[in-house]
Amino acid sequence: MRERYIHILSIAIVLTGFAAVTFLYWSEPRSLAEVATKGSVAIGTYAVDRAEFERGLAAFRAESFAEARSAFDRADPEKRDALAQFYVAYSFYRQGWGTFTNDDALFRSGIEAANRVTAIDPNFRVNDPTLGMKTPAELRAELEEGLKITIDDLNPLKLTRERK
Amino acid sequence: MSRTTEEKRVSEVDFVDAEIMPSERAVVVPKPDEGLHGSRAVISYLVLPLIFLAVTLLGGFRFGAVDNAFLFLKPPLVCLVYAAIILVLFVRSGLIQIDGWLSEGFPMLRNLASCLCLLTLFAATVQVFNSVMPEQGLPFWVVAFFFFWTLWNNLFADFDARRLLRSVGAMFALAFVAKYLVLANLAAAPTESSWLQRIFENPGKEALTWVLDLPRYSSGTGYVQFFTVALFLLGLYLTPRRLPND
Repeated sequence: MRERYIHILSIAIVLTGFAAVTFLYWSEPRSLAEVATKGSVAIGTYAVDRAEFERGLAAFRAESFAEARSAFDRADPEKRDALAQFYVAYSFYRQGWGTFTNDDALFRSGIEAANRVTAIDPNFRVNDPTLGMKTPAELRAELEEGLKITIDDLNPLKLTRERK
Repeated sequence: MSRTTEEKRVSEVDFVDAEIMPSERAVVVPKPDEGLHGSRAVISYLVLPLIFLAVTLLGGFRFGAVDNAFLFLKPPLVCLVYAAIILVLFVRSGLIQIDGWLSEGFPMLRNLASCLCLLTLFAATVQVFNSVMPEQGLPFWVVAFFFFWTLWNNLFADFDARRLLRSVGAMFALAFVAKYLVLANLAAAPTESSWLQRIFENPGKEALTWVLDLPRYSSGTGYVQFFTVALFLLGLYLTPRRLPND
């Protein structure tokens, strides 16, 4: 009878061990903290850090965009929250927007972040009245437009356009 | 218990590896040492899988050069082939007797547990190859070729279990020395300085690192992999020829 329990325990240990090893090699965490985060993603208990998110939102509204992105990254280290990623994309847009020229590198990063939002939630829509664009599709279109060089760029009336 | 029942029980015993002692009322067969038997079962079914799982986890584990970040490297396909060859060698040399591990006569649960133990041995062997083989470039192909040469020769040689264990231990020890002492010291240490500055400071090592395509890891990697190889060899030493019977 005792042997039977040893066999059952052995099977449980091996299956659990293989599951843990497979998880680590599949998710490739780079630190012990990431092991915990990726573990919570795997078991479905992942959630954004609300305090960091609010800090990021406050920095975004104060136009401290780099600081806002750092806070959003801390709030959503796995980049799985559509709202946090939308604000990240929007921060790239607002920081990169210029009256004469836009910052192409920031706009490209903004497109990547907007694509992440679409991948997480294709029907995402933000309920923030302070933002001119409410969906990742609008934001992406604006960012892509900002990267293009056309004859319209020479139109002096463009200097009167406003940041959304 | 009636006398006829006791006689029937005694007649059912086909073979007993123990001295028979007469008693006043019946024949008493002393059982083998239960403590020893139990500890063997614990080693075979619990300690061995834990050792091999630890080796499986650590075999592909490295520390990043600059920030000491965890890196989990998946084993190349050739490691699986070599591990399969090694398992064939284990069976051929008698280090593992398959009919002592798996049999139609054993209960299903025991066969399943034994099968999973063998699976952990295979996974650990794959990861030990992953540990001691260089990751890329010319050194990978050179070491892979020598492993293949050694294993291919061993496949056709006459072995006993003890000699095979020594041979496998020596093979992995040499590969460990080649990778973590020789090649690791040929690779230039990771620095924050620019490429041009590194060339001027240390032209020989920079050239070898570039020519041999040597990856740069933190020095902690060597310590972890030493522990991994040692743990694997300990696991092999503890692996029984046959699993203890119920």
